[in-house]
Amino acid sequence: MKKEFNKEDRRTVGIVGVPIWEELQKYVKKGDTIIDLDDALPDVSVEDSYLPKTYCSILKRVTSNAITLAQAGRLHLVLADVGEGKCDGMRYIASFLRGLLPIPLVEVRNTNSTGWGYPICQSQHPLREKMELIVDTVSKPLNASIKLQKTAPVCGFWGVPPSDFALLELFPPDTHIYGWTRCMENKTPANHELELEVDQGVPTVFFSQNFCQRSALAFHLARKHQGLFVQMDHHLTKSIRAMVEAFIKFNVS
Amino acid sequence: MSEKILIDCGTSYTKIYHIDQRYYEVIPSREFRQRNRDFRILMATGYNTWGMGEVQVNELITLAEGGLRLIPEESFTLLDCGARDVKYITMDRGKIIRMDWNTECGAFAGQVIELLINYFDINPRELPPDSEKIPVVCAVLGMTKMFDKIAEGVPYPRAFMGFLKGIAWNCYHLVNKPEFLYFSGGLCENKAFLHSFPCQVRPLGRYVLLEGLKSFYEDPSRLKPLKETVSKRTAYDRHSSQ
Repeated sequence: MKKEFNKEDRRTVGIVGVPIWEELQKYVKKGDTIIDLDDALPDVSVEDSYLPKTYCSILKRVTSNAITLAQAGRLHLVLADVGEGKCDGMRYIASFLRGLLPIPLVEVRNTNSTGWGYPICQSQHPLREKMELIVDTVSKPLNASIKLQKTAPVCGFWGVPPSDFALLELFPPDTHIYGWTRCMENKTPANHELELEVDQGVPTVFFSQNFCQRSALAFHLARKHQGLFVQMDHHLTKSIRAMVEAFIKFNVS
Repeated sequence: MSEKILIDCGTSYTKIYHIDQRYYEVIPSREFRQRNRDFRILMATGYNTWGMGEVQVNELITLAEGGLRLIPEESFTLLDCGARDVKYITMDRGKIIRMDWNTECGAFAGQVIELLINYFDINPRELPPDSEKIPVVCAVLGMTKMFDKIAEGVPYPRAFMGFLKGIAWNCYHLVNKPEFLYFSGGLCENKAFLHSFPCQVRPLGRYVLLEGLKSFYEDPSRLKPLKETVSKRTAYDRHSSQ
């Protein structure tokens, strides 16, 4: 028996991917709390029992977060992008996750094509801070106290938010963000053309999570633009770290 | 007064460059850790470094820097086959255009080869060069296939040579099948292994990473970008060292 969302008093909505902004704001205006199920939550461990051992770390995290929080009564609705703005994996998972959850799961498809711009991606902040700001602003506006200054790129990071943000600490100041993360900030997660664009001549690391279909694109683009292709699973490893360090050392002037 | 050295502390062996006396030394890593000599380790690289050295530089950077110092061409591919792992860089006019560090499928290639040479008590120079290649996933899993061949009646020198060819084939494909390949690491001394590659191989010896450190020692300005981007400890390091 599923709990009815509308009968809950203090409600928490878990989002997956980048649902449509206007839809999200309806929940925000009602006073609902929004949490991002793609994020690592401090009190939720990722279980291997729901999905194959060799599978995308982000989707394993989403699944564990949703099931653990819903079973504990701390999550009341899941709003999951299952369209081209997220990935095939989430669409398959949503098809059976609904049956495992004691709460409703609403499938959405964000096909918004009106770009909001991506000033965070091009700003002066360190790469990790930029990534945290972009993730934070999926459901809420950027804090007005944060000033963004456009910089010229000295290095590029292409890809999705990694499962371990320690990777981002290796990059130099004025690293610009490309790929799906830039589409996130632009509020157009299904904009494939924008995802393919990079600044010519900027040494760029093309990143994908292990077992992600985007790996093919990251690999291809790295070859095309003479960038570095790296994949990561749960955590930053010594060899990934060394490759990124070496690439920056010799290729970023 | 402490003796100033640079070290490449690998899984099996530590390669040392004595700065004042200008000579190289190779000793087992386990012995290096037990030595009581008064060393001042100015710079360190290698898998077994573990906090040693006033400056630590990762192995891919020292491999690339060592290659730039030793190789006359502007474009080259340099493969380092160590005891524990396999890594390579392809450089073009001072920039890295490809690299990889295969810690899984290349796992323990060098160490397994050395163990098998000792186990069979065999001289690599006496291995039959016309042996058939044994397809192997990695050195560890490849051993089972090699021993299967021996159980089927294949003489062990021939089976071992086939195993070496399988490892070399994997390395060749890892580095994108170049016509010419520079080679680094302890296996430079194993001619049978070098001849197992289906391309020309030029061995540079086992001190290439140390040459990279020497380059940084002699010209510290080449370390400047490292100080800005690399030397800082990340959350990963902080977590790992707890």
